[in-house]
Amino acid sequence: MLVYVARRLAQVVPLLAVVTLAVFFALRLAPYDFVDSITTPNMTAEHVAIVRSRYGLDDPAWLQYLRWLGRVVQGDLGYSLASQHSIAADLAQRLPNTIVLVLPAYLTALILAIALGLVAAARHGRPLDRLIDTIGAVGIAMPPFWFALLLIYLFGYFLGLFPIIGMHTVGDRGLPDLLRHLFLPYLVLVVAFFPDLTRYVRSSAISQLDEDYVTVQRAFGASDAQLFRRHVSRNVLLPVVTQIGLALPMLVTGAVITETVFSWPGVGTYFLQGARALDYPVILAVLLLSATLVMVGNLLADVLYVVVDPRVRLGKTAT
Amino acid sequence: MKPAARAILAALALIGPLFAAGCAADDTSPAPPDQTDTFTFAISGDPSSLNPINTGDRWGLTTTNVVYSPLARVEADGTVRNELAESIEPAADGRSVTVKLKPDVVWSDGEPLTAADVVFTYTNKAVKDNGNADLLWIGDQPITATAVDALTVRFDLPEASAAALSNIATETYIIPQHIYGDVTDFSGAELEPLALGSGPYKLVEYQRGEYLRFEANELYYGGAPAIQHLVFRIVPNADSVKTALQTGEVDGASVSPSQVADLAGAPVDIHSYAQGRVGYLGVIEPRVPDLALRQALFFALDREEINLAAYLDPAYFENAYSILPPGNPYATTDLERYDQDVERARTLLAAAGLNPTLVLAYAASNAAQATQATIIQQQGAAAGITIELSALDGTALYEEVEKGADAPFDLFLGGYIMGIDPDAYSLLFRTAASANFFSYSNPVVDALFDQGLVELDDARRETIYGDIQRAIAGDAIFYPILDSFDNLAINQRVGGVAQAKLIPVYHFEDWSKFTLA
Repeated sequence: MLVYVARRLAQVVPLLAVVTLAVFFALRLAPYDFVDSITTPNMTAEHVAIVRSRYGLDDPAWLQYLRWLGRVVQGDLGYSLASQHSIAADLAQRLPNTIVLVLPAYLTALILAIALGLVAAARHGRPLDRLIDTIGAVGIAMPPFWFALLLIYLFGYFLGLFPIIGMHTVGDRGLPDLLRHLFLPYLVLVVAFFPDLTRYVRSSAISQLDEDYVTVQRAFGASDAQLFRRHVSRNVLLPVVTQIGLALPMLVTGAVITETVFSWPGVGTYFLQGARALDYPVILAVLLLSATLVMVGNLLADVLYVVVDPRVRLGKTAT
Repeated sequence: MKPAARAILAALALIGPLFAAGCAADDTSPAPPDQTDTFTFAISGDPSSLNPINTGDRWGLTTTNVVYSPLARVEADGTVRNELAESIEPAADGRSVTVKLKPDVVWSDGEPLTAADVVFTYTNKAVKDNGNADLLWIGDQPITATAVDALTVRFDLPEASAAALSNIATETYIIPQHIYGDVTDFSGAELEPLALGSGPYKLVEYQRGEYLRFEANELYYGGAPAIQHLVFRIVPNADSVKTALQTGEVDGASVSPSQVADLAGAPVDIHSYAQGRVGYLGVIEPRVPDLALRQALFFALDREEINLAAYLDPAYFENAYSILPPGNPYATTDLERYDQDVERARTLLAAAGLNPTLVLAYAASNAAQATQATIIQQQGAAAGITIELSALDGTALYEEVEKGADAPFDLFLGGYIMGIDPDAYSLLFRTAASANFFSYSNPVVDALFDQGLVELDDARRETIYGDIQRAIAGDAIFYPILDSFDNLAINQRVGGVAQAKLIPVYHFEDWSKFTLA
């Protein structure tokens, strides 16, 4: 397995190079650059030229990319053009903030999805199944920003129960304060994450019900409860574990909209600000991180599958 | 081990360290400020620069104005209000300005503020590589500052310039030499230490993406602030700002006219003030070379209707008729205003035998511009001018404008804030100037700008800039629409708004004047 993992990791490097190259040159397709986005009518042409030269934006595109790549391979993500702040330092500050928000929400959604998905499968075609399916459909159709604004109105404004801005009250870094700020965006993300997962669990469970072992168990007189608890749920969990691996990149970019609405100081708001200003080192750094997690997440999903299901052997799938 | 148990263990192995990393962010920090002694103001993003030498963005300048002080400022009506300066004396020949500092002004660390600090600041600001030297250069030579004595500075101009005389003492925020004297590069966005000035507040904490926290500077020369703590809370989403104002989570913020109606019943008062901005319909001259067509277009339009559609109520805007904002002391109303006259527009078109189609570009993300464009389209159609609309990214629009005759549109909506001195507007209307988005060229206007720059007599200056405004209006390349007001919603528990004085860009002139009920 180690050989397999090493081989997969080796594939990550050229893939990342391709991803960053594509993103960098896609950014060049924009009809303006970062300096244009900060230029005001009262700057002279000479002033604008000085600023552009300082950021190296007057160099050819390939030179800018190679310079950026050269720094990245040395572990230096560079500096934001807008703030001139170290991107690595910014991400080190913001990534934990996003994880604190996304991780509990994803875990809650996962647990909720497993419970609801199994119940829906057990009651396949009956009113309870249809109710869960409808809730899922509404959840999928509902834009997170809109739901966030509803929650802000209800809990923040109308009931006045929760703060709606940021992660902490100014100067208060305590856990109770963090939890109060966390609740509303957490709820938005749970509602954003769980419908897809529920449908996934439900369809997996329904397909399990057609398996021979279910027929056999039923023939032996197993009740629905025993069947689901002892057999179906365990087999459904196998593909769910792979979902966890695939969800890894969400820890970076899983809450861009929600973070913006709640002014959560995470990677999402950082990325959005960078994208607005065409701050290409920021955009590339976040996408580099996100792309890495996509690839590592896929690898982890494969590895986890082997860990939880001894029947699967990686050697056979690696070719 | 059973598959389910393996699955849970594997998932925990994956996510456990990440969660631990997340919780580890909960570090220790200073005690929370007393909320009953804190004024919280919402800003939409991090300041681009906290370095007073080069900052130019709205939040950077607002923060700078809280922590630092200039020698003087120009009020909206053009009068000069001294801050660190006790007196400002321009020489009769227009070649130098002598500034005497107020005695006994100290930095927030207690050190005296002297002429050496002023010379230090201006010398570094005049370095072009530091990124904000434009106002301190005349032609290809810098304005130089010399300390005459501990409290007197003389600025020498390489040649006479009325604009420089009125600009020199304003908009430059003085930094302490004893703190930043060893800094060799002032081109960065942050200094080390982050901020130390002579303004009403001291910056004590900056959490990027979250907030800036200030404490009262008890040594402030204008008198210690009544409110001990000031917080700039970073809230990018406008809807969240509105709700935060309603709940009292923030005490003040800039809001749009449409949000003002939503705030009825909230514990806030709305304070609207002119920004000294001109919102306009621009014509790219090489694309619409026919003067009769440009005039016909302008006569087809009704700016009052355009403005009411976009800004809802006359309380939130003032109609503009000139290249200078309506409140500018040099603005004239004695020019062709192009008040709506549809018949005249039709006559002009018929005389020239025209049946035109024009393309109007505007910034897609700007709701006010989208409304204005639609009304302009309707008004044009009523006069026989077909106007097609093109929504573009705001920055991309200006990139396309620079292509002049090759731009993919003929007309565009824009706006600028250029300040009080009328020479600043030459950047927009002089031939080939850096912000001449109209590809406009009129040698008469160029010559008048040259005269205005060196004319030291104020009455004669007023005449020259009046002629410039009339000439540009006559050429019909620029249709001024309005000065859109900034609307500040301030919680009713906050007093002293009038004393703090609303000013463009910086929001408030003196943040020390607020009180809390």
